[in-house]
Amino acid sequence: MAEPVQLQRMEPAIDVSEVRFRYSASGPEVLHDVSLRVEQGEYVALIGQNGGGKTTLAKHFNGLLKPVAGVVRTMGVDTRGPSVAELARTVGYVYQNPDHQIFAQKVRTEVAFGPHNLKLPPEEAARRVDEALELVGLREYADEFAFSLGRGLRQKLAVASVLAMSPPVLVVDEPTTGLDLQGSRNILDLLGRWNADGRTIIVITHDLALVAERVPRTVVISGGRIIADGATSTVLSEADLLGKAFLRPPQVTRVAQRLQKFGIASDVMTVAQLRAQLRLALGE
Amino acid sequence: MADSTSEEYVIEVQGLRFRYPSSEREALAGVDLVVRRGEFVGITGPSGAGKSTLCLCLKGLIPAGELSGRIQVGGKAVTRQSAFLERSALVFQDPETQIIGLTVAEDLAFGPENLKRDPDLIRAAIPRMLHEVRLDGYDEAETYQLSGGQKQRLAIADALILEPDILLLDEPTSELDPVGKDEVFEVIAQLRRKRDVTVVMVEHAAEQLAEMADRILVMDDGQIVDQGPPHVLYRSAATFHRPDGERAPQIAEVLFGLLQDGLIDESEFCAREEDAINMLTDKLSRHHVRLASHG
Amino acid sequence: MPVGYSIYVERPSLIHQRIDPRTKLAALGAVFVLALAFNHPAVLGGILVLVLLAAQLAQLSWRSLLPAMVGSLWFLVLSLLIWPFYVKGGPSLFILFGSTISVNGVLFGLAMGLRVALMVLAAGVWMMTTSPQKLTVGLLRLGLPYKAGVAMTAAIRFVPLLNAERITITEAQQARALDLKRENPFNRAVKSIAIIGPLFVRSIDVAQSLALALEARGFAARDGRTSIVQIGMTTTDRIILIALAAACLLAIGLRILGIGLITRAYL
Ligand SMILES: Nc1ncnc2c1ncn2[C@@H]1O[C@H](COP(=O)(O)OP(=O)(O)OP(=O)(O)O)[C@@H](O)[C@H]1O
Ligand SMILES: Nc1ncnc2c1ncn2[C@@H]1O[C@H](COP(=O)(O)OP(=O)(O)OP(=O)(O)O)[C@@H](O)[C@H]1O
Ligand SMILES: [Mg+2]
Ligand SMILES: [Mg+2]
Repeated sequence: MAEPVQLQRMEPAIDVSEVRFRYSASGPEVLHDVSLRVEQGEYVALIGQNGGGKTTLAKHFNGLLKPVAGVVRTMGVDTRGPSVAELARTVGYVYQNPDHQIFAQKVRTEVAFGPHNLKLPPEEAARRVDEALELVGLREYADEFAFSLGRGLRQKLAVASVLAMSPPVLVVDEPTTGLDLQGSRNILDLLGRWNADGRTIIVITHDLALVAERVPRTVVISGGRIIADGATSTVLSEADLLGKAFLRPPQVTRVAQRLQKFGIASDVMTVAQLRAQLRLALGE
Repeated sequence: MADSTSEEYVIEVQGLRFRYPSSEREALAGVDLVVRRGEFVGITGPSGAGKSTLCLCLKGLIPAGELSGRIQVGGKAVTRQSAFLERSALVFQDPETQIIGLTVAEDLAFGPENLKRDPDLIRAAIPRMLHEVRLDGYDEAETYQLSGGQKQRLAIADALILEPDILLLDEPTSELDPVGKDEVFEVIAQLRRKRDVTVVMVEHAAEQLAEMADRILVMDDGQIVDQGPPHVLYRSAATFHRPDGERAPQIAEVLFGLLQDGLIDESEFCAREEDAINMLTDKLSRHHVRLASHG
Repeated sequence: MPVGYSIYVERPSLIHQRIDPRTKLAALGAVFVLALAFNHPAVLGGILVLVLLAAQLAQLSWRSLLPAMVGSLWFLVLSLLIWPFYVKGGPSLFILFGSTISVNGVLFGLAMGLRVALMVLAAGVWMMTTSPQKLTVGLLRLGLPYKAGVAMTAAIRFVPLLNAERITITEAQQARALDLKRENPFNRAVKSIAIIGPLFVRSIDVAQSLALALEARGFAARDGRTSIVQIGMTTTDRIILIALAAACLLAIGLRILGIGLITRAYL
């Protein structure tokens, strides 16, 4: 397992303050005065409609985009200073499509690329590669050809190759598109385990059912603004608010809200919760 | 090979096997399937199950590789030599790589132009199609400026403008937000109300599939491993209700749990949200009455 | 990723909407013939003014012409610095590096600069006023095979798709601490495989998907195709074409007579 991160100085992991952003001088403003603070060790979901600005905001965390106005700090460092490659030590960013980063022949070589770029001593790099492969469950594939893996395994490989750099903050952009349920759950579980070691995780996704099951804090972005931010169970049960971001509460929540008059709680989030509530209501 | 059943069954597949040259495993390992005219068939299954390969075969775009078995669409045998299948249209998963035109109108026209349809009719059809997918007024918009969701809707319009009576959709909502997904399903529902189209749709969104599909097929390892109407299929413990099972609508998972607890019976099981709410409302109010009369 | 496909700008102008793409192609050809026929700066300058007038008629903004103009200016300066050392004749001006600089040399340098400016600007105005779709249809009418026409459109589509892929891949690898600028040349070559590799794989994927999409939409299902883009020669087109032909003939005639030239020694 990766060693737990030391949390001496409690700088927020991500501190976005009053950020405005546009892609080109003549283009429309895409982020309007966004402020967001994520403490170290948090696990946060970023949700919202297509084109709402999730990816744009997340790319500010590792300096791929720099704010037009306002400041972004990751682990206390203003992202306007260092290069993206330097920030990669602090913030890992996993892209949606693993094929955008896989280039090496062997799985192990692929995972070693990041540590190698960070100029880690070879033993240290090898140890991190092994840990990352272990964590995502690709250990027995270490010597396979990266391109011969199926989509789900390639996705895990992409995650492993970022985990091997052992960044204290990890951003994952839509890791579950094109994956089946099992694949999606695996990835979210994996992120959960990484988070349990004290690392900060920010996951972008449209899969609210999975968010409800596993992610404690949810931030909703719509039209370039943060329109809600709080405990997942609170945020996801507010149908009106979600509607503004073209989202809907999970199906179990919708059903629970329609059965409120029978004493079913309206902030039911998961299948297990609704089943328990109904068992209570229908039992003697 | 036009026979009497072709009127009722628009798609007939028998013992279909297919292997890509670069792979040892068969992508399709004996698929048997018939689809009735006007039916909405959903297909789900894990990654690599062969869903996309099946769609390509049904559209007559048989990839290079070893093929055996029989495919009939609209009563006509489909082979590599078959002429372009005008009766069916296919929407692919990735919206980026299926848009060809530089403007929306140009892209819509591309298909019918290839089929040498009358330019006046094509021009007249464009605003109608845009209306059907809620892209009214986007005729002259440049396609690269559309959002992912808009591109996916345009791709559907590209298929509709060919006036197919068989619509094949391969994960057409994968990158959409939940409301965007609903919109695509709504577009297809409206279309089915207006016209007698047969729909075969590969989709992971179990909730929406349960609402709309007449029948759902589950594929795995190149075979159809389970199938049935949603309210029956989603009861299947072996396919859905185990740790590494397929995705079922959340409500089906809840009801399956209650079924196990003996709190509802099989005839009460359903997979559609509205049905479930009605059933539960009914049951809960009767229960309340009973409790009240007891105490 | 918004990447422009072409520099075409839609405007409701006569030149954009009314004139056949074939006529516009002929006009571009004619400007090239005229530019090559004369080498007197006054004549070339005059033609340049005509091209700029056409740009105004097409409602193009000066700003959109700026890149072409700046590029041409460079050439003008360069050619003014070089040609006077080669072309002599006319009254002498001064002596530089032991070479007599004469009026004709300066004028010829000016002319050559204007010639390049003329060609660049004409090509620019042509591209900004001729939509790729209409051009394709025009070329098809001129006998371009239909598959080549669609291949052209598909290629126009392919380039920005690949560019978007390249940007995403570069970003993804930067996020894995790849910093090519900081590497020595050898490592840079070795590590650029991290970008070229995925780009190669993705371009094959994208090409395959595009090819499938073309086929699914009935590409090449029939011989020939129809088009919703209407083009056709009108009386205006015919008048323009006759005028262009006359201008070209006149220019060639004048060239033979030696009118509108600084020197016969160069083109
Ligand atoms: N490279 C770019 N250049 C110009 N505009 C862009 C670019 N990338 C995104 N945009 C625009 O910025 C806005 C926000 O886009 P962004 O990709 O951040 O949305 P998102 O919330 O990640 O959406 P999705 O769920 O579809 O991924 C959109 O209007 C989009 O069109
Ligand atoms: N062009 C190809 N060449 C070689 N093998 C292929 C090709 N396309 C697909 N395959 C293989 O065929 C099998 C079936 O693939 P297919 O794409 O049909 O699955 P799918 O069910 O659509 O999966 P997904 O849900 O990931 O889209 C897989 O094992 C896949 O690796
Ligand atoms: Mg995004
Ligand atoms: Mg597929």
